[in-house]
Amino acid sequence: MRILLDKFSKSFGDVRVIEDMTLEVNDGEMLALLGPSGCGKSTTLFAICGIHKVSGGRIFFGERDMTDVPSQERNVGVVFQSYALYPHMTVAENIAFPLRIRKLPEAEVKRQMEEMARLVHIEELLGRRPAELSGGQQQRVALARALVRRPNVLLLDEPLANLDAKLRLEMRSEIRRIQLETGITAILVTHDQVEAMSMCDRIAIMNAGRIIQIATPQEMYRNPRTAFVAGFLGNPPIAFLDAVARDGWLAVEDADIRLPVPPGTRTPPDGTPVVLGIRPETLGREGDAPIRGRVTFVETQGRENLYDITLANGSVLRSIQRVSDDVSLNDEVEWRVRSDQIFVFSQNGERL
Amino acid sequence: MTASRDIARDGPAPVTARAVSARGLASWLNSSKGLGLVLLAPAMVLVVLFFLVPVVVTGLIAFTNMSTATGITGGAYQVSPSALRVLTDQHGMGALAERLGQPTYTVDEQGLATLEEMGIEPGIVAGLRERHLGETYSSRREFERAIRALPERPATRTVKRISAAFSRSLANERFASAGALIAAAEAVEPDLDAAEKQALVEATYTGWTWTSENFRRLATSRDTERVFFNTLFFVATTLVLFNTGYAMVLAIATHYIPERAAGIFRIIWFLPRISPVVIYVLLWKWLAWDTGFLSALLSNFGVRPRNWMLDSATNAWVFVILINGFVGASMGMVIFASAIKAIPQSLFHAAAVDGAYRWQQIRHIILPHLKWPILFVTCYQTLSLLTSIDQTLLSTDGGPGGATEIWSLWIYHTALNNYAGNLQYGYGAAMALVLVVIGITLSLLYLRLFNYNALIIKPRIEH
Amino acid sequence: MTGHLRSWPIVLALSVASAPLVLMYVYLFVDTVTNAPPGSFVPNEFTLEHWSFLWHTPRGRPSIWRVTLNSLLFATSTAALVVVISSMAGYVLSRLNVPARGFFLAGVMVLHAFPAITLIVAIFLVLQVVGLYNTLIGVILVKAAIDMPLGIWLMKGFYDTVPWEIEMAGIQDGASRFTVWRKLVLPQVKPGIFALALFAFLLGWGEFILPQVLAPGGDVQVLSVYLASLIADDNNFDMALFKSVGLFYMAPVLILFFFFQGHLMNIYGGGTKG
Repeated sequence: MRILLDKFSKSFGDVRVIEDMTLEVNDGEMLALLGPSGCGKSTTLFAICGIHKVSGGRIFFGERDMTDVPSQERNVGVVFQSYALYPHMTVAENIAFPLRIRKLPEAEVKRQMEEMARLVHIEELLGRRPAELSGGQQQRVALARALVRRPNVLLLDEPLANLDAKLRLEMRSEIRRIQLETGITAILVTHDQVEAMSMCDRIAIMNAGRIIQIATPQEMYRNPRTAFVAGFLGNPPIAFLDAVARDGWLAVEDADIRLPVPPGTRTPPDGTPVVLGIRPETLGREGDAPIRGRVTFVETQGRENLYDITLANGSVLRSIQRVSDDVSLNDEVEWRVRSDQIFVFSQNGERL
Repeated sequence: MTASRDIARDGPAPVTARAVSARGLASWLNSSKGLGLVLLAPAMVLVVLFFLVPVVVTGLIAFTNMSTATGITGGAYQVSPSALRVLTDQHGMGALAERLGQPTYTVDEQGLATLEEMGIEPGIVAGLRERHLGETYSSRREFERAIRALPERPATRTVKRISAAFSRSLANERFASAGALIAAAEAVEPDLDAAEKQALVEATYTGWTWTSENFRRLATSRDTERVFFNTLFFVATTLVLFNTGYAMVLAIATHYIPERAAGIFRIIWFLPRISPVVIYVLLWKWLAWDTGFLSALLSNFGVRPRNWMLDSATNAWVFVILINGFVGASMGMVIFASAIKAIPQSLFHAAAVDGAYRWQQIRHIILPHLKWPILFVTCYQTLSLLTSIDQTLLSTDGGPGGATEIWSLWIYHTALNNYAGNLQYGYGAAMALVLVVIGITLSLLYLRLFNYNALIIKPRIEH
Repeated sequence: MTGHLRSWPIVLALSVASAPLVLMYVYLFVDTVTNAPPGSFVPNEFTLEHWSFLWHTPRGRPSIWRVTLNSLLFATSTAALVVVISSMAGYVLSRLNVPARGFFLAGVMVLHAFPAITLIVAIFLVLQVVGLYNTLIGVILVKAAIDMPLGIWLMKGFYDTVPWEIEMAGIQDGASRFTVWRKLVLPQVKPGIFALALFAFLLGWGEFILPQVLAPGGDVQVLSVYLASLIADDNNFDMALFKSVGLFYMAPVLILFFFFQGHLMNIYGGGTKG
């Protein structure tokens, strides 16, 4: 089902947390609300499921205005970070709870509950209590409970935050599989860009109560609208470098760097200070513009090495390259940057 | 996987329709406000009935002279000898009082009917009705003269019987309302003026009346001063010696001994609190009475057996404070012990490395951490000691000779239980009102002191 | 942390300080089943004669069983009332967005600190006027009202520990706020409810002044009033009898305390009066 937030605002007392936010989630789509903690993403989630009252704007599920509909009638499935399983009920009772609340016939409850348990692969756990389950199993039960009453939309609030690294990887693909199989519209709230990029069709990146950009992960990575977006996506993260526009070039004068303006970028007036965003993979042995500096940090990641190189003016750039042993700490190097892949931002972070 | 795919395609579950139809009360109970008020209601009823109403009632009764004698629900009007004395002494209406106290004689149908029943000759009755009906005589002699003057000339004995049948007296008669009283009085004394009526109503009223006398009495009574200082002494001494002082000693001492032994001592010192107060005090009586343990023990050393609890004011105080203090110590002990437990172990380790001995550990680590708990216990127990009554009532009952009478016990003795039998509710309520005011003031003060506003967190589910 | 410091001097000092208490409680047991020669405290014979009050009712006094039943009724009813009312009101204060919530919270705190015993004169008169004087119902209501603020405060504390997410999940699952409370939250605070019930029962069981003032009559006498009147009767002084009745009265307390010590110490420390 299509979800639409239309000029949604939320304040707590005098504090405005979200102002005039408009967001559309398409039917069957999985969308990530990505942003640092405190950016308002959980508030948005709570508004969609009705735990919070909105201060302004409307919320639509399909064509229906849900703004003033109580949570119980919105039919939203939520998976909480802590899973929020009912500790005094067995797994089967947990999953059946939403159905029993709806007073379905017991045979029907059992049938749907078991079908859902099969879908999330927990058939053999039905008799246990939540305390006897691992984190990943609890996660599956929470998913089953959220999905069993066929919700209009599935909300996932940092669902992987409480899992260890290996389980996180497993559940990432599991949640995506289940979402695709059920074809449900889903919203994932996370502060982890890897989660957002790997699980979702589109990402809405938020900062300070506003959506900065909505795009597919690919598009957002390749074409960030602001320095904030560029900085949030990518691991290892992008490096920023202060420069000025000079004679149609971008120059870092105290580090002796001159780069051509990338295609598609407005050429700023002469003398304008700008910020260059250079991703680690665009700096290396190949490229068109030379950059000289000293290697001040080397991190071996197995297949690749990550280098920090400190320029003459003290700025630090990052480079990720295939492992080789011809560079070591404190070496002076001259590498190249693919200047058509760098981003140019204005001083206030807007992409030029 | 088409089966699972249609989960989402089905749209809203088919059951919502049924859920919607089952609304009504349930939907109101679903809002925070509705459910909240319903769940709070029983508590509110109890608060109103047993806190708010009693506070108001205490305040009101404090301004009355209500007692066993006046009754609670209001009284009647009775021309009692004491009411007549009040009329004479306080209102200077001796003549009126005398007349009201004397019987009068009115020839009315009621009296005539009585005569017929008594079997007096019908001729006499008819004569009285004919000649004297409606007449009133203020003295018996005058009336009897009139009877003798009847044509039938009744015999002297008959005259007496006749006059007695018409004798009407207000004395000791009860009237439900002031109007009835005045009507009856006017039958005797037709020309009462307003002041006389007023005085009569006041003097004969047997119920309670509004007065500020209780507070004047409280302010001027010598007992007030004595009981006040008793209470102050009791609260301060018990609080300092036991509820905080000894509690702290127990908490710190049990901190420094093995956990198992500490547990045993904590249980021992908890016994006074969990024991029903009657038994607990009984055990102290066993210890202190003249045939009790203390006497028996000391008689081996040639000390005369006696009731140690009541034989002198000093001993009585020692016991009252011990009895209350032993109970009070346990609360402080538990609170202080858990505060000490909460001190990070690293602080103790650091101190041990510094070569700090126990005394220094206590002074520089433990005591600073106990600041707030001590303040809390002090605040809390000041109020409870101020109003504690059971232990003292059951042990010394304020004795010997009122030496250990404390405020709360004084209220009990004044208004709820005394040997004289006249329970002075009004006066007792005035005393209680003092404590109520102190209680409310202190509790509000504590509320500020411990900043309970910080505890008010907005609920996270907003509707 | 204090292992290198010897603890026996402290244990010794504490033992001396605790001796009178221990002595009193030990003799509470000993004196009920033994006799000692006059002037001595060393028993010389075993006897059950002091327990005859169980089958033989003294003249002018209600039967011990009647009184015990009253006590049981009184304590269980107050405990039940306190638990039911507190678990309702505590939930409101912990979780629900009611108007004037801050006021209610402060109100409970003030009532908790406020010494209700000062109102006893007024309560006595109110009960007389409404006809509940000398009835168990009257004194049960009063006792429940007085213990209730503490109960509400404790229950609020228990509810505060239940994760909000459980309630949020319940609401999303379609349950009403009432159902969420009843089916999802209450089961989480069962241990707290049990502790409060136990605590309120013991408070009711030990209560003296309220029944003494509000329900002194023979029909509604509870054990505390019964025992106090036995002791106050100067004509029949029998310490061994008092102690036997006392031990009979206290046995349930000791048993409950023995089994549920941990539960109780926390609550007692958490702020009762006394």
